[in-house]
Amino acid sequence: MSTSLSRRSFLVASGGLSIVLLADGVIKVASASEAPPAGHALNAWVTIGVDGIVTIKSGSAELGQGVITALPLIAAEEMDADWSKVRVELVTHDAKTHGNPKIFGMLYTAGSTSVEAYFDTLRRAGAAARRVLIHSAARHWKVAPSRLEAANGTVTHAASGRKLTFGEIAALPLIGDVPAIKDSDLKPRTAYRLIGHDVDRPDVPAKTRGAQTYTIDMHVPNMLHAAVWRAPVEGESAATIDDAAAKAMKGVVAISKLPEGVAVLAERWETALMARAALKVEWTRQSEFRSANSAETLQADMKAAHEVERRGAVWHERGTALNNIAAAERVITGEYATDHVYHAQMEPLAAVASVGPDGKTAEVWVGTQAPSVVLMVATQVLGTTPDKIRVNLLQMGGGFGRRTMFTRELLRDALLLSKQVHRPVKVLWTREDDVRNGWFRPATAQVLRATLGGDGRIQAWNHRVACASVMGYYSAENLERAKNRDLFVMEGSELSEYEVPHLLAEHVITPRRARIAAWRGIGAGHNEFASECFIDELAAAVAANPIEFRRRHLRHNARATAVLDRVVAMSSFGKAPAGRAHGISLAPYKTSVAAGVAEISVDRATGALRVHRFWAAVDPGLVIQPRNLIAQVEGGILWGLSGLLKERITIEHGEVQQSNYHDYQFLRMSDAPEVQVEIVTSSAPPSGAGELGVPMTGGAVANALFALTGKRIRHMPFTPDRVRSLLA
Amino acid sequence: MLTLIVNGTPRNVDVAEDTALLWVLRDHLGLTGTKYGCGIAMCGACTVHVDGLAKRSCVTPVSTVVGKSITTIEGLAANGDHPLQKAWIAEQVPQCGYCQSGQIMQAAVLLQKVKQPTREQIVQHMDGNLCRCGTYQRIVRAIERAADEVGP
Repeated sequence: MSTSLSRRSFLVASGGLSIVLLADGVIKVASASEAPPAGHALNAWVTIGVDGIVTIKSGSAELGQGVITALPLIAAEEMDADWSKVRVELVTHDAKTHGNPKIFGMLYTAGSTSVEAYFDTLRRAGAAARRVLIHSAARHWKVAPSRLEAANGTVTHAASGRKLTFGEIAALPLIGDVPAIKDSDLKPRTAYRLIGHDVDRPDVPAKTRGAQTYTIDMHVPNMLHAAVWRAPVEGESAATIDDAAAKAMKGVVAISKLPEGVAVLAERWETALMARAALKVEWTRQSEFRSANSAETLQADMKAAHEVERRGAVWHERGTALNNIAAAERVITGEYATDHVYHAQMEPLAAVASVGPDGKTAEVWVGTQAPSVVLMVATQVLGTTPDKIRVNLLQMGGGFGRRTMFTRELLRDALLLSKQVHRPVKVLWTREDDVRNGWFRPATAQVLRATLGGDGRIQAWNHRVACASVMGYYSAENLERAKNRDLFVMEGSELSEYEVPHLLAEHVITPRRARIAAWRGIGAGHNEFASECFIDELAAAVAANPIEFRRRHLRHNARATAVLDRVVAMSSFGKAPAGRAHGISLAPYKTSVAAGVAEISVDRATGALRVHRFWAAVDPGLVIQPRNLIAQVEGGILWGLSGLLKERITIEHGEVQQSNYHDYQFLRMSDAPEVQVEIVTSSAPPSGAGELGVPMTGGAVANALFALTGKRIRHMPFTPDRVRSLLA
Repeated sequence: MLTLIVNGTPRNVDVAEDTALLWVLRDHLGLTGTKYGCGIAMCGACTVHVDGLAKRSCVTPVSTVVGKSITTIEGLAANGDHPLQKAWIAEQVPQCGYCQSGQIMQAAVLLQKVKQPTREQIVQHMDGNLCRCGTYQRIVRAIERAADEVGP
């Protein structure tokens, strides 16, 4: 995606409405009339060509979530653009202007933040663009701007019936300053013609024809294929390499030692694979991770979680929870655990790099959630500056957190190899490479403690999560700067919807024994499994109905009550067919509110748990694209169910024990329940939905199992062996 | 040198006989619509048709398909307008889209055999094709839509 500024076009920006016009090679700038809002420098977002094509920049990348539809649509709405003429351009470099204010101003697509982060910026940019168009047409016709209307890419003077398309206006002589956009200039929701109305995703047709290009599909002239054999244990490298047999193969160009492995470069991918298999490598075998065992680590972490005198890093605190718990006669305690899980995105990791002869310039092709990380890695590896790096962002065959910081190693290898052989190089990880070198959701050990008042309401709540720090693994400096507040681990432990006066959520940070990362749903995935199960436990402790017990703590929370009521109605909660049961979970993600109900049955002989139906009611605030949002929540629900039913990574002697889809299975069509999602409308601002389906699943299924059997399952995934021993 | 018939056209490839058809299609012939997901026939992303049957090209040695008719997603319909492709758009099935070539190729074989498949037949036939985005529900609807459009 690129935009040509040849001939005549103009750039429109908001936040003081600086207007840059390029005409016949002459650039004129009307300076900004006011400073941009603090925290996010607003600048050029919208380009209008004389052909009428409106190009809107996106600071977020597309990984299937529909962001290249939703983001430009927000600007197009305020602009009254003709949607069929709107294009999107992904930003590769300018984080200062286009960075995600929700993620440290980086070009970084994660945490379901895109719409929330860019909504206000983009609608102001769109409104500013519209105003420039109106004023340009007004001057051309010598009428007052207030007499003009814009709709569907055309400005109309109703009194005379005259019309100009946006493209025709772009060809008019330039205008000077126009008044800045005020809040009152923005459309009320009732005036929306695009927002809230489904449009077809522009990327869908190509995806039905095999015509969407992903990184793995890239072929650049003269390119070599690299298969990398990475050390089986983190922290090790090749001690000795016997590459005689590999080197003898026709088509093998080079064997190269990398920081964590050995690369085979070949003219053909199948040759690279064959030659890699012929390598004999001895690894250094001195890594401290050689002793890592995920089951033992979890056991140690659980011990730490139970050592309640050991204070964790405070994530969220209100009132005086610990004092209340210390003084209480009765404290209820619940223990929960989750194992490591792997992203299993369908496109394995790949990167293509072409380093210039000087070793200081490069072009890279990569599908990434983190363009800012691409630039960081490339400039560090080549000792150069960002302007020397040309970045081609490709769509991703799934992301889910897998394509964020990974670029540190994969892209580095592609750059190092290309620099060495003076040819473009594609590094592709096989599925086995992708699993064994995965960065997993941390396994968590969680202890929850609570006290109840005489009114049957929760008085104090302490949620302790023991595991290593994901943020600290990404960057020790960032963790320190964040005062040990690690959102990847702790988000979702705030109990944000419930009225609980005293609460402490803390992270007992333990030593890292695995590569860990964000995984769709981040902390909310594991934390809300635990908290929503524990809520059910507390309800049982006071012999309350789980719905009524939740409502008791939502007296002033209309949004949460609305989704709870809706999902209870959708599911006819508690009236499951014979042999089945329902479980509920109220599970927000950031400021989006959602509740889900699972209908399950269990085969007591095998322990196999089946989810037959799943209902969800969601309130993500203003919805940009309802159909796509529902698809995202459906996908999130299946993601969550897959994780809790089937997925588990184990590590022994520092080595990941799984390697491919035969021993790391995820949800198939025959495992998938019928899912029904409804949007509950509210006046809240837009929030995120890409992960909203995930957190509700763990609690809903575990609580359904309790309703069915009277037994609490506390360790995710709920594999048949675990369910069977629970019921034994 | 082997000669393959791909999407109706004879193509010569200079490749070892045991090379997986997948790599021949993708890297030698530039037909990248067929995807690599696992390499062990567990995900179905690499599904193509060989003499009208769904085959996992990642575990199909190229020498075994010489002289047979190979169809990839690029050759499923001349203009990309197979009833399934149209139904996929109507139902807005794809999210990341990576598995969808394989899904469509797998589904096309079902509709060849069974004009009006039941939901159970669809699930049984499609169960070897993984989708990590969770579009299964929409895939089923799109297959039903395509079946309805074509008619019995």
